[in-house]
Amino acid sequence: MVAGRSRNPRPATGDDNSGNADVWLIVPVYNEAPVIGDVIANASHTFGNIVCVDDGSTDGSAEQIRAAQQVAPGVRLVRHPVNLGQGAAIQTGIEYARARPGARYFVTFDADGQHRVDDVEAMIERLRAEPVDIVIGTRFGGSQTLSVPFLRRIVLRSIVFLSVRNRRLGLTDAHNGLRAFNRTVADDLDLLMNGMSHATEFVGLVDRHKWRVTEQPVTILYTEYSRAKGQSLFNGVNILADGLLHARLRR
Amino acid sequence: MLVIQIVLIAAAAGLVWFFVTNRGNSKASAGFKLLFVAFVMLGVYAMIRPDDLTVVAGWVDVGRGTDLMLYCLIIAFAFTTVASYLRFRELEIRFARLARVVALQNADAEDRE
Repeated sequence: MVAGRSRNPRPATGDDNSGNADVWLIVPVYNEAPVIGDVIANASHTFGNIVCVDDGSTDGSAEQIRAAQQVAPGVRLVRHPVNLGQGAAIQTGIEYARARPGARYFVTFDADGQHRVDDVEAMIERLRAEPVDIVIGTRFGGSQTLSVPFLRRIVLRSIVFLSVRNRRLGLTDAHNGLRAFNRTVADDLDLLMNGMSHATEFVGLVDRHKWRVTEQPVTILYTEYSRAKGQSLFNGVNILADGLLHARLRR
Repeated sequence: MLVIQIVLIAAAAGLVWFFVTNRGNSKASAGFKLLFVAFVMLGVYAMIRPDDLTVVAGWVDVGRGTDLMLYCLIIAFAFTTVASYLRFRELEIRFARLARVVALQNADAEDRE
């Protein structure tokens, strides 16, 4: 199984995810057919409500999700008619989830199996217990720093070092896709960056709306699959350019 | 060479600043059209009487009229590049919102089944 291993693996039947009925997992999916079924089946043991946003996949990802719905009825599928980008998919997922009755907590979760469900549980616990609006995962909080590939570590560290905003907010990881947040954030969220620049945009929104933010050390499982699919470091240039011109766009 | 550098850089910065801060209102879009007409007319004039342009170039310490024309062209090109980038981004955002509405409506219809 590619997805994060749980410390206490539960059987597929008799899941106890009723305690998390107010939590929605938002999973942007673009051509993840080999893994998406396992990832959502695994996550649904703990979190019953999952909305998969199929961003115009052409590899049968949607069929895999449909198949997973047979065993996990809380899984929902929203399909973009055309490919729009990960940021747009996340925004769609959030708009779907926040319209569901009883939704209070929201999690952005990657489809490629690099995030662990255990980490999400810990983040939700903190949202429930602490006076924060959003918890962002960081690869640089705990002991697992060294598992981040060397070049990637240098680049991510430099982005944070160069960003006044990241330092002011006390954030140590520039582009972590694992985030958990409450309704305050979900209701006001309006991501415009369709592509990969949405991570920077997200942090910008945290700053602008003065949301109370904290970090949670998480483990990213750099599997061969996720490594091959991971965003190229050249994307950093695109992200930088988007960020510079973004302020000028009419909303 | 110093005069032309100052003039061109100031012109570029001013142009970008004006259009970027006033985007979308009728003043800016009218300004853009007038600027374009002026630019084309100047270009035609320069083609008919290239020596006049060289005289103007001499005023700002540029050697030849063609060089002056080239500098202006670079500024104009950089400006249109930024303007079209912003235009495309806005269209992308509208397109994404439209597609999102379709996706959510389809999902809701499915949920009701």
